[in-house]
Amino acid sequence: MAKVKGYPEALENKLRDRRFYGEDTNPEFTKTVKKISDTIAHMCYQCGTCTASCPSAPRSSYRIRKFMRRAVLGFENEALTDPDLWLCTTCYSCTDRCPRDIAPTDVIMAMRNLAFKRDIIPVNFLKTVQAIYTTGHGVPNNDVNRTARKKLGMAADPPTTHSYPEFIPGIQKILDYFKLKANADRIVKEREG
Amino acid sequence: MAEKKVTKKDAAQKTAKKDAGIAPNMAKEEKKPRIGVFICHCGTNIAGSMSITDVQEYAKTLGDVAFADNYQYMCSTPGQKKIEDAIKEHNLTGIVVAACSPRLHEPTFRTATKEGGLNPFRFEMANIREQNSWVHMHDSEGATSKAKDAIRIAVAKAALLQDLIPKSVPVEPTAMVVGAGVAGMQAALDLAAAGIKTYLIEQEPSIGGRMSQLDKTFPTLDCSQCILTPKMVDVGRSKNIELMTYSNVDSVEGYIGNFDVTIRKKARGVLTPDEAEARGFVGGGCNGCGDCDAVCPVIKPNNFEVGMKPRKAIYINHPQVVPLIYTIDFESCVKCGLCVTACGDKKAIDLEMQDELIKVKVGTAILATGYDIFPIEKKEEWGYKKYENVISSLEFERLICASGPTGGHLVRPSDGVTPKKIAFLLCAGSRDNTGVGKPYCSRFCCMYSLKHAHQIIEKIPGAQPYLFYMDIRSFGKMYEEFYYRIQDEGAKFIRGRVANILEDPETKNLKVYADDTLLDRPMELEVDLVVLASAVEPAADTNRTRKLFGVSCSMDGWLLEAHPKLNPCGTTTAGVFLAGVCQGPKDIPDTVASAEGAASAASIPIHMGEVELEPYFAMCIEDKCAGCGMCVKLCPYSALDLIEKDGRTVMQVTEAKCKGCGTCGGFCPGGAIWMQHFTTPQIVAQIDAFLVGGEQ
Repeated sequence: MAKVKGYPEALENKLRDRRFYGEDTNPEFTKTVKKISDTIAHMCYQCGTCTASCPSAPRSSYRIRKFMRRAVLGFENEALTDPDLWLCTTCYSCTDRCPRDIAPTDVIMAMRNLAFKRDIIPVNFLKTVQAIYTTGHGVPNNDVNRTARKKLGMAADPPTTHSYPEFIPGIQKILDYFKLKANADRIVKEREG
Repeated sequence: MAEKKVTKKDAAQKTAKKDAGIAPNMAKEEKKPRIGVFICHCGTNIAGSMSITDVQEYAKTLGDVAFADNYQYMCSTPGQKKIEDAIKEHNLTGIVVAACSPRLHEPTFRTATKEGGLNPFRFEMANIREQNSWVHMHDSEGATSKAKDAIRIAVAKAALLQDLIPKSVPVEPTAMVVGAGVAGMQAALDLAAAGIKTYLIEQEPSIGGRMSQLDKTFPTLDCSQCILTPKMVDVGRSKNIELMTYSNVDSVEGYIGNFDVTIRKKARGVLTPDEAEARGFVGGGCNGCGDCDAVCPVIKPNNFEVGMKPRKAIYINHPQVVPLIYTIDFESCVKCGLCVTACGDKKAIDLEMQDELIKVKVGTAILATGYDIFPIEKKEEWGYKKYENVISSLEFERLICASGPTGGHLVRPSDGVTPKKIAFLLCAGSRDNTGVGKPYCSRFCCMYSLKHAHQIIEKIPGAQPYLFYMDIRSFGKMYEEFYYRIQDEGAKFIRGRVANILEDPETKNLKVYADDTLLDRPMELEVDLVVLASAVEPAADTNRTRKLFGVSCSMDGWLLEAHPKLNPCGTTTAGVFLAGVCQGPKDIPDTVASAEGAASAASIPIHMGEVELEPYFAMCIEDKCAGCGMCVKLCPYSALDLIEKDGRTVMQVTEAKCKGCGTCGGFCPGGAIWMQHFTTPQIVAQIDAFLVGGEQ
């Protein structure tokens, strides 16, 4: 930030105008989020049941209620560029308890979809895409799990693509159709070289 | 909607002439109809969505229309004057006003029609507001076209309208009030004070309802019993009130002015002094001494104390009951006879008593059936009935009340210790769209929770109340000031709805999880006691009672008023009125106001002495009637009979009983039954006017 009044940058940032002028919102964003999430995102009355139910909130800056507010008012850029968007564990506790019968989790998922369209996405999510592409699993089996499974009397690998790798090409076909893998590879390469 | 070409000779006219010889009232040839059409702008409500000029010009082209006009507000005095003047000036035979719903202003325009010298039933309304301009706000062309259709249809009917003379029936000068909570008691006291004999029916053994369970009342902090007991005593003493406790309404027949009500007086097992005297035990009957209570071996939870205190199988709810008569709970009585012995010479106890059915005739009735607490255990996340120290607000009222199970000492149910940190959960089950709770605001929980906070600060030194709220709705007189006062006294307000509660299994303390939305931080608060300000719902028996009286309910089960703003005490059943919470959640001031309104409304027909019935009766066209009698069985109001007339069997309508529902007319295989004001030719003319624009 430029030194407008000659203050140090940190102070300048502290003193910047934070008023909500109304024009930095996009009513279309509310409609799009509603459409993708298939829930009444505009009906939130900010009671906070979601944040109070959230296992992430007490130990992070993630505030699901704040994202709901952004959905109501159409704060598109603020919602999509906030890194907290990616801290939801999708446990659905908020959806279980919301008194307005909204599915806040699905609102977050919708916003993540919209963010991805702008290439806004943490690399670890993309690595998950790559893992699914190659193994059929977001979290592939590993030696620790294999040992544990055997100890519990189960097969080392679950009856999924791990046991039936012939189905992996089918999964790849789906991901390719949506260009998910290609986009993931591209963004990872841009970020990590 | 395509506009239809209209010819002078319209189909409706033909239909009318064809049938003219059959209908008794149409026997004489009517003069050619001359209809006046008046189009209302309703400010911009109608005029903003359609072209009034176009509609008026179109109306003038209709065959029977002799005059068409428009005005900003037809319901205003100058608007009504236009109708009156036009009738005289243009020699009109029928009036059509295109405006709002007939539910709103049909009576207004009927009066204007009458003032102009026509029979008031020669008026027809075309709804171009609720069913047109309000729903087609952005389609002026479509709305204009639809208004033309509506007017054409209304004119077709108006051309065939006949003079009708409403019948008057005498009104029985007695009233009935169902439910003796504060609403029912107030309504009965007002009716009694107006000189009307009133039956007050209460299903519980004693009167007072929910209000008698409360400790103090907001915002004045009056003791609830102190202000209620005098009213209860007045009810007991009033010569005009016939109090029937432990009774409910079994069946209702009849109509405004003449309801025949059967009351089931449940077997109480105990005789009042009057009843004892009737059986020849002069000086006997229950005097409330309680000797029976002392010897009864059966112990049951006392519902009045929300199950927190025991009672016997023979019991009174609390020491101040009106009437002071014991009641036997026959479901738990073992008929050991100890009470009979203890009662001795008073001979007040009859263990073989049976339910009694009593028939009374009343002119009007008021329903004041009140509310129950929503079973808040259904919202599992708050642990009611799972954690001992989570209680409902009604339990709190009894625990803090000096006459309650703990003598007014608030204690934790788990260990009897006085709680210091107490959380109050507002909107517990209210404003809930999940399908588990109630979508509405229960309206008095905010205020009583403020009062609860005050009470613990006052009674428990060092106590700290926390109120978890979404909005504090302190809308009444002196309510916001009360909110200020409680905050000043030290209550902490946390703007966040509680997501869940967990219990510490050792201490039985409760961890309350919420989002302090104003601080934007999730919180976990350990408290000694949680009070849930539970939602309210219609009392259990409401649905059965309302059906007996033919009263509708809204989707949430509260009884439906005739108009939410302009007729909040009336119902769509003439002569039946609503008082208090059965119509929707109300605090005590609103309940009493509503009861006084209902009493006033219910007294009007009685003071008038007779009521006019709308003359929409069924009529039998005897030439066509085959006397099959099938309509007689179908009639829900037993208004039809078969009689012998001129050597034939024909149907006859008892007009006072007929409600004009049309069941018989719709069914009659011979088309021999017409409904007045909705005759077959009138309806056919309307359909023709719509489908073929009057052409055939």
